[in-house]
Amino acid sequence: MGNIRVGIDVGGTFTDFTVLDDETGDMRHFKVSSTPHDPSEAIETGIAGFAERGLQASDVIHFGHGTTVATNMVIERRGGKTGLLTTEGFRDVLEIGRQTRPDLFDMSVRKPDPLVVRPLRLEVAERLGPAGEIIVPLDEAGVEAAAERFKQEGVEAVAIGFLHSYRNPAHERRAGEIISKRLPGVFISLSSDVLPEFREYERISTTVMNAYLMPRMDGYLDRFMTRSRKAGIEAKPYTIHSNGGLMSTETARNYPVRTCLSGPAAGVVGASLVGKAASFPDIITYDVGGTSTDVALIANGKPAYSTDRDVAGYSIRCPMVDVNVIGAGGGSIAWLDDAGGLKVGPQSAAAVPGPAAYGKGGTDATISDANIVLQRLNPVALLDGAMPVDREAALKAVGAVAEKIGRSVEDTAWGIIRIAVANMARAIRAVSMDKGHDLTPFALMAFGGAGPLHSSLVAAETGLNTVIIPESPGTMCARGVLLSDVTRDFVSTQIKRVQGESWLDIRSALEGLEVQAREWLEAETIPDEKRALQHIAEARYAGQNHEIRVEGILSTPEDFAARFAEAHRVVYGYALNDHPVEIVNLRIQAIGHAGRPLQTVPGVAGTIKDAIVGEREVYIDPQTGWLTVPVYKRASMPQAERFSGPAIIEELTSTTYVLPGQSGVVDAYGNIILSFVKDRA
Amino acid sequence: MQQHVKPPREFDAIEMEVYSNRFMSITDEMGLSLVRSSFSTNIKERKDCSVGLFDGRGRLIVQASHIPVHLGSLQGGVAAVLENYKLEDIRPGDAFICNDPYLAGGSHTPDISILTPVFYDGRLCFFAANLGHHSDVGGGVPGSCDPSQTSIFAEGLRIPVLKIAREGVLDEQIVKLISTNSRDPLERILDLKVQIATNEIGQRKLVALADQFGIATVEKAIDDLIAYSESRLRKRISDLPDGIYRGEAFIDGDGVGYEPCRIEVAIKVEGDGITFDFTGTDPQARGAVNIPKTALDATCYYTIKALLDPALPPNEGMALPVTIVAEEGTLVRPKFPAAVGIRSTSCQRVVRAIFQAFADVLPREKVFASSADMNATMIFFGPHKTREGSFVYLETVGGGAGASLDHDGMSGIQVHITNTSNLPAEALEIEYPLMVRRYALATGSGGEGQTTGGMGIVREVVAMTDGVRANASCEGLRTPADGVFGGGQGEVARLKFANADGTVKEYDISITNILMNRGDSLFLQTPGGGGFGRAS
Repeated sequence: MGNIRVGIDVGGTFTDFTVLDDETGDMRHFKVSSTPHDPSEAIETGIAGFAERGLQASDVIHFGHGTTVATNMVIERRGGKTGLLTTEGFRDVLEIGRQTRPDLFDMSVRKPDPLVVRPLRLEVAERLGPAGEIIVPLDEAGVEAAAERFKQEGVEAVAIGFLHSYRNPAHERRAGEIISKRLPGVFISLSSDVLPEFREYERISTTVMNAYLMPRMDGYLDRFMTRSRKAGIEAKPYTIHSNGGLMSTETARNYPVRTCLSGPAAGVVGASLVGKAASFPDIITYDVGGTSTDVALIANGKPAYSTDRDVAGYSIRCPMVDVNVIGAGGGSIAWLDDAGGLKVGPQSAAAVPGPAAYGKGGTDATISDANIVLQRLNPVALLDGAMPVDREAALKAVGAVAEKIGRSVEDTAWGIIRIAVANMARAIRAVSMDKGHDLTPFALMAFGGAGPLHSSLVAAETGLNTVIIPESPGTMCARGVLLSDVTRDFVSTQIKRVQGESWLDIRSALEGLEVQAREWLEAETIPDEKRALQHIAEARYAGQNHEIRVEGILSTPEDFAARFAEAHRVVYGYALNDHPVEIVNLRIQAIGHAGRPLQTVPGVAGTIKDAIVGEREVYIDPQTGWLTVPVYKRASMPQAERFSGPAIIEELTSTTYVLPGQSGVVDAYGNIILSFVKDRA
Repeated sequence: MQQHVKPPREFDAIEMEVYSNRFMSITDEMGLSLVRSSFSTNIKERKDCSVGLFDGRGRLIVQASHIPVHLGSLQGGVAAVLENYKLEDIRPGDAFICNDPYLAGGSHTPDISILTPVFYDGRLCFFAANLGHHSDVGGGVPGSCDPSQTSIFAEGLRIPVLKIAREGVLDEQIVKLISTNSRDPLERILDLKVQIATNEIGQRKLVALADQFGIATVEKAIDDLIAYSESRLRKRISDLPDGIYRGEAFIDGDGVGYEPCRIEVAIKVEGDGITFDFTGTDPQARGAVNIPKTALDATCYYTIKALLDPALPPNEGMALPVTIVAEEGTLVRPKFPAAVGIRSTSCQRVVRAIFQAFADVLPREKVFASSADMNATMIFFGPHKTREGSFVYLETVGGGAGASLDHDGMSGIQVHITNTSNLPAEALEIEYPLMVRRYALATGSGGEGQTTGGMGIVREVVAMTDGVRANASCEGLRTPADGVFGGGQGEVARLKFANADGTVKEYDISITNILMNRGDSLFLQTPGGGGFGRAS
């Protein structure tokens, strides 16, 4: 009888594995090098390594992975040759978009070329009105002609997007039938399936990207299935989608666009569960990698969602965890502009040539170099001694910048970090503001290799009191995969007033969605006791054009209007009494609970003093200068014993910097909880 | 021996960058709140709004980049508050409102600014400011702006700088006066309240910043930021060869008749200073295409950023190396009470003239052919479909951008001083009794060349009920976008009105207040961009 759960996050450099033994609660993390030419190869290698860790692939009962396959395909433009069939008069909507240019002042910043070239954007006579009524019937001969044209051009996928199809999919479905008959083997994606919501550009753009991704995603998933079976895993594999839930391989094949934020979303879901277990339901996640930082908001245990996002400059709309990316990470380069302003990023030394101190050819001063100069990062070696550090090289790189601004090397290194922190803090404030939250009650949860190094500084800048460093912060995304549920959203655009008569329409639309959701849970073979349906309505005051998400059962119009008003007050700071409310989209999220609640971990014996493995001089700030600071080994830190900053905590893949004025403790889940000691008043 | 302006003061390279992020963080939050909480389609969907922070002396600290032409009005509004009110009459909790181009730094009447003084330790230290384009403030035509208007009094309600809130209490009477003068009063009330709330966010954040780091540190950082931008821009200007560079551009007509109006600019680069001299520009127009002072200033700052340094932080320091000369009574410095509603059309052509002048001095890879810089507008007005009363729906339509050395011009895009979004056809059809028949790129409308100009947009809108009225204006019906270095001109704009019975009338001048019955349609094709280099 199997008892192992496996979560995998496929990143650019490493593929992370988290393996949980369901019986003992024992959790392990390990990494293998990623194989970008075929990411499933690294997965197979990782599974092959189970044996040497005393694990049996055949014992795996749950198996999920997060992947950047789709995102990379878009960035590198490696998708399938795609055609678009749309309503007569609208083939250029895909190119015009919202008619705005990407940079207000710089005309050389261009919109990316559309994923379907103009000659492959074909029109057909048909037209629906806003109530789904047929104004012009579908010209079936025109669809046949378009299919012929697609055939001649050798397209691998066809996106079909007609106006107002979210209200009536009949024309799209019929066109899809005709095309699939003419073009067997070609992938077809209907906008009324992918995103049955109004706003034609966003719907068509999302559908086009979905079609574009389908052919290659299909191939990838085939290889992934073959390799994991070959490695001995029998369990049904799942893929994380952008809303942080798991979906079956079949769903991923049909809707690859929903995997665009797969990995980061898993990290946020993991963070929300770790936070909830540790009694921190309100969290800002702070995931710092080599070239970028991901920030997301979790309020009351629930990750914030967004529906609109750009992927490589292309607009997509689908429910996703609202992960915001900032172009600053450990490898970001500090530089001086010609007017004497000190800037950090967005250029990054990345893994190669890397920071100057890592000896892989880098000579520019990076954020990591600044941390090595200040000795917040180990100035001798990282990765438990496996990776030597050349502090002299860091001093030289930062020194070159220092000379230009006429400051000491320490001051300059401190300034580089301060600028990066101010930049990251700006993104954190925007994330909270966008969702209408006051930051004060939030805790900052830091993960990724360089998160814990800067998290206390970011907390101080944004006024957050608590910082949480979860266990093994370098593999949070893989851990999130392990904790996620199987989910899928079903949506229907119903622009209806929240009042007597139309409420019946809303109720009946909702019942229609419930039927779909139950059918899907059935198809995913989720056992009854693990099923749940979450009701979500996106609503607005009549006349507005932005919707707010309101969760919970739709009982009466009065109850809903009251809950909407409260949500509006949270997001915008006010509510309007007696102003009509309208629902725009109804959504049902079908949930199959697959994750396992988080367990406490056994503590380590010994005192906190025993965990001190050394001390070193660390530069604090220009007022304080250098201080001698204790260095703790994380694995040796006992639970529930308090320690004070300044301090450095080292572990295999991460380093935590604790500020003077902060104190910390390891909790029962193995998290480090840091807080600022209140002013002595 | 020429005496140049003294070099700007030294600044702290680290603090400057840190505070730049801190201030931008505040305008980010204000901008997000304004767009998301507002009611009108114009602000919420098209983002026709801007926010900024100023210091107590009225110096710009930072502006969130939404619409470049707004920059001047926010500055003009703050200046008007400081000119019209004694310091002791400006109280915590007050909020000021204005829109007037002649009395309060406005650039046309629909742009209503709200300016909120921010006090710290009992002293006026900052202003939080924002501006929204209100879809109608009364006047002769729906939307309040039309080229054929010949006086500011025909362009709706004029608001000098007034207190709309006194020590925290909103003056409902002023709100009522403004809403009463609009064709869509509900939108006015709701949006004005959101604008006031937006500044309150800015106010809270500024006070929190001063609490956290000390007001003296914050004020020093403002000086640093301004010094930095000034020094950076002076460096860019010094890199240009000294000299006088000339450009000219035409607008189709003066708003009333067919005689083209000429804009002339001489750009004088001298050391690290630059002068834009518009002497020689045609006298002020009869119609509403005149450019008020703050709109001309904003247009010049836009070109500086676009051509010399797109990432230059927009603050007071950006204005210091720049001198703008315009003769009173001309198109670019009209005398009261000239109409100014369609000023952005002429501003776009000012940009064209300046870009043209710079083509002689910039490296070839930084030169662009002329764009469809025309602010094409379609306004529909009629009975509401989903609620009581009437609607005003305004759409601006993008066009083709000019080609450059390495790239064809972008197609179907907003250029230069505006960057407003479209309204999705589906959203429009749900909301209004209209139907979009076509929204497409105009094939072949870009100018030929080594690289081709971008394509214009075709937009065709059908009335689904009787009694809809419409205006349509589009610059470039007669004057095309020029190519550069031998590149061809883009196609000119086209404007047509088709009756339900199939009769079509083509226009070469704006359409004002035309009656549309069910099945009638309005067709607009915006101009293509100019080509770059001779086509082989």
